[in-house]
Amino acid sequence: MEAAVKLSVDQVEREVAHLWEEEARKSGAARVELLTLVALVSEPQLLERAEKVLADVVKGVPCRTIVAVWRDGAEPAITADASLHRVAPGGPACGDAITLEAIGEAREWIPGNADRLALSDLPVCIWWVGDLPDHDDLFDRMVVNADVVIVNSQEMDLRDLEKLSSIAQRSRGRYALADLAWARLRWVQDLVARFFDDEQGRACLPGLERIDIEFSPRDGEKDATSTRSGLLFGWLAHVLKLPTDSPQWKRGDTWAEVRLGDVLTRFEQRPQKGVRPGGIVRLAIQCKTGRFEIQRQEDPQAFRWSREVPGAPTPPQLLRVLSLDEPTLLLRCLERPKRDPLLETSLQVGSRIVRPVAPRLSRLPPPAPTSS
Amino acid sequence: MTSENPFRVGLETERAPAPCVFVIFGASGDLTRRKLLPALYNLAVSRLVPAGMSIVGFALTELSEDEFRKNMHDAVAEFSRRKPIDETVWSDFASRLHYVSGKFEDQSNFGKLREKLEELDRTNGTRGNRIYYLAVPPSAFRMVNDNLSKAGLVHDPDDANRYSRIIIEKPFGRDLASGDALNADLHRVFHERQIFRIDHYLGKETVQNLVAMRFGNAIFEPIWNRNHIDHVQITVAEDIGVEGRGKFYEEAGTTRDIVQNHLLQLLMVMAMEPPVAFNADEVRDEKVKVLRSLKPIRGEDVARLTVRGQYGPGNFAGKPVPGYRQEPNVSATSVIETFVAMRIEIDNWRFAGVPIYIRAGKRLTKRVTEISVHFKEVPHALLAQQGPVDPDVLAIRIQPDEGIGLRFVAKVPGPTMTLRPVTMDFRYGSTFGGSGPEAYERLILDAMLGDPTLFARADEVNAAWRFITPILDAWSKAPPPELPGYPSGTWGPAAATDLIERDGRSWRRL
Repeated sequence: MEAAVKLSVDQVEREVAHLWEEEARKSGAARVELLTLVALVSEPQLLERAEKVLADVVKGVPCRTIVAVWRDGAEPAITADASLHRVAPGGPACGDAITLEAIGEAREWIPGNADRLALSDLPVCIWWVGDLPDHDDLFDRMVVNADVVIVNSQEMDLRDLEKLSSIAQRSRGRYALADLAWARLRWVQDLVARFFDDEQGRACLPGLERIDIEFSPRDGEKDATSTRSGLLFGWLAHVLKLPTDSPQWKRGDTWAEVRLGDVLTRFEQRPQKGVRPGGIVRLAIQCKTGRFEIQRQEDPQAFRWSREVPGAPTPPQLLRVLSLDEPTLLLRCLERPKRDPLLETSLQVGSRIVRPVAPRLSRLPPPAPTSS
Repeated sequence: MTSENPFRVGLETERAPAPCVFVIFGASGDLTRRKLLPALYNLAVSRLVPAGMSIVGFALTELSEDEFRKNMHDAVAEFSRRKPIDETVWSDFASRLHYVSGKFEDQSNFGKLREKLEELDRTNGTRGNRIYYLAVPPSAFRMVNDNLSKAGLVHDPDDANRYSRIIIEKPFGRDLASGDALNADLHRVFHERQIFRIDHYLGKETVQNLVAMRFGNAIFEPIWNRNHIDHVQITVAEDIGVEGRGKFYEEAGTTRDIVQNHLLQLLMVMAMEPPVAFNADEVRDEKVKVLRSLKPIRGEDVARLTVRGQYGPGNFAGKPVPGYRQEPNVSATSVIETFVAMRIEIDNWRFAGVPIYIRAGKRLTKRVTEISVHFKEVPHALLAQQGPVDPDVLAIRIQPDEGIGLRFVAKVPGPTMTLRPVTMDFRYGSTFGGSGPEAYERLILDAMLGDPTLFARADEVNAAWRFITPILDAWSKAPPPELPGYPSGTWGPAAATDLIERDGRSWRRL
C-alpha cells in the first residue's frame, strides 16, 4: 500500500478515481474489484494487524477495503485516507485502500459512511477485528447491509459461542456468518469424515463411548475448553445426534468432561510448541468395536491419522496440515460468501452444550432489526 | 463412494475416493516421472489420497522397490508443482510405492502382479479396487489388456464391492478403423464405464470454466448462437518443436496429435447444448452431438477447407532452430504436418452458417491456446463516422494467462464520437491467486472417484475419427503441399491466412 492522502469522506471517490487514472497511465493495470471488505477494528492496537491482513487479501481477491477505526475525542468527526493496494511494492495496483477514522461520537456515523463508500452492486463483507462485545450497536447497524459477516471466535470466550449463534439466527438469511476459527477446523472435519467413509467405519458408530479432544490453551486459559474445541464438538454432537438437553459437566484445572447420554467427552489442555492457542492437538473417538485417532506430531504441522476397525485393515497415514494465516482464512471465507448451515448448527449445538460451564452473556442482543 | 457418510454432509469434499491400488504400466517412462507421480504426490499433499491407497509401478526395467522409490523421489522433486518436496508427506507416500518388473507380454508377470495386489488388499485394505494406468505405447494396450483379463485382474463392472478401471492416454487410434479396433479391444475386457480415456485438456480449470461461464451465467446463453455469433476461432499454438519426439511425430502429425483430441474437445465444450445435468452421461451425450453435427470435409473440400504445413528452419526466442526435417528421427523427405488449419461448420440449429476456424501447430510465434467468439457487427452503423465499428470478441484463454477477455467498443473521451476497442479482462491468476491443481491431479482424482465426466467416451472418439479420417485420407492421396511451408517462429503457412481472409475475416492477433 502506498502513502495515503488525508481527505474528507466526500472527496474519497474522486481521489480513488484519480489514483486509478494515474495508475492506468503508469502501469496500464485494469481496475477489477470484486467486493467491498469493511474491517471494523475494535481496538486501536489491532489496526496494524488488520491493515497487513487486508493488504494480503486483496492480492487474492481484488477489492475495495475500508478500515474503520475510532478513538475518543470531544469534537465528533470522520476523516478518510485513500490509496491503492499493490500486488508488490512498486507493482500494479489491485484494489482501493480506504481508512475511516471516527472521533468521539462520530463512531455512530461509521455505518452510513461505509455504506456510502461501498462499491455499487457488489457484495459487502464486514470483518470484525478482535473480540466482539456482548452487544454493540455499531456491529448491528453495520451488518444490516452486509452480505457476509466475518468474525474470529478464537479471539472470544467460550460463552461467545452463544452470541455468535444468536447473530447467525438473527441474520434470517440476510447475511452469511463466517468464522475464521471454523475455517481452521475444515481439515479436522475432513480427517474425521475419512474415518467413516466406508461401511466398516460407520458400523462402529452405534457403539460410540468416548471422545477426547486435546487443544493448545491460551495463556491463563480459564474456560472449560477453547471456543474452537467447543465448536468442533458442536459439529460432532450434531452429526452424531448426541442428546444435548442435559449435559453433565465435571471440571479440573486443565480438563473438563461432559457426558451426553452414553457418550463421555473429555477436553484437555495440551500446550505444544508451535501450535497456536485453540489449535487441536489430538482427537480420538473410542467405540466398542473401533478406535479412531488424529494425533499432532512433534512437527506441529504433521498429523498421524489412524484407525482400528474390524474387517478393514487401514495403515496409518502421516499428513501435512499447514497452519493457515489470517489472510488465507479470510480469503477462504470470501471464496464462498454464502450461508453455512453447518456452522450455524454447530454454533447452536455447541453453545447449548457449553452453556452450563460458560458464564452467560452480560447482555443479550436485542431482537433483529426488521428493515434496513 | 461415501455419500452415506453423515460426516461429509455440508463439507466441501462431499465425496472421497475409496482406497485402491493404482497400477502404472510403463512406470519407468517419462509420463510417469513428469506427470503421474507428481500428480499422485500432490494429491497426497492435498490430503486427497485415501489411507491405504497404494501405487504399483510395472515396467520392464529391473529395479528394487527402494530403487523405484528413489527414482520417483527424484522425479517428484524435479517435476512437482510444489517445491521443495515435503519429506514428511513423502515418507508416508513412499511407503505406498511398490514395483513389479517384467515384460508385458509374459503372462507370468501378471501372476506376480496379482499376488502383489492381493497382498496389498490384505495389508492396506484396498478391497480389490484397482486402477490400471497404461502409460505405454498404444501398441502395448492390447497385450496389457488381455493379460489383465487372463490373470483375473478385471472385476465384473456390476460388482458393487470393488472396481477395476483402466485409464489410457491418447492416441486412441490412428484413424477411424484403428480407433474402432482399439475400442473393440478394450471392450472385450472392460465395460465402457470402466474405461477412462484421458485428455488432459479437459482437466484444465479454464476448460471447465468455459462450462461454468456458458451455463452459470444468464447473459451468454441468449447470444450463443448463429443470430449473434459471426464466427469462432480456436487456436492451439506451441512455440516449441517436436522436442526429441520425432519418431512419434512421424507417425502422428498435428492432426492426430492435437486436432483429433484436444482441439475437438475444446470445440465440443464451446458448442454443446446445455446438458440436463453436470454428470458424465449427460455432458458427454451433448458433446458427442456436436461432433456428429460437424459438416464432413471430404473430396475436393479438403483442399479448399484445410491447410497443412511443416515448420522450416527459423528462430525461437531469437535463436536459430532447425526445421522439422532436420530434427532427430525425422525423415529428410517427411511430409508429416506440424501445422493444420481448417474451416469447420456445425450443421445444427444453433451454429448453422457460423464458420469455426481452427489452427494448431508447432514452432509458431508463441505458445497460446484460445477460443475466441467473434460477434456480429451492429446491425446499423449509427456511430460509424470514424470508420467501421469493431465487432465484440469474447476470448477464452486456456493457456497461458488463463482467463476471459471481452473486447467491445467505447467512446474515446472528447468532443467527437470517436470509438475505440477496449478490453475487460478476467484473469485466473490475479483474481483467485495461487495455482490450481494440475490437470492430471483433477483427472486422476476423478478416476478414483469413478467420475468419467471429464474423460472421452468411445462414441466421442469414434465421432472424432469419423470427421478427421476423410481429411487424412484425402491428404494421403493428394500430392503434398509445398513444404516446409512456414519458417519456425511464424503463425504458419500463408495459405492459413488465405483460408480465413477469403471469407473477409482475419486471424485474431494473439
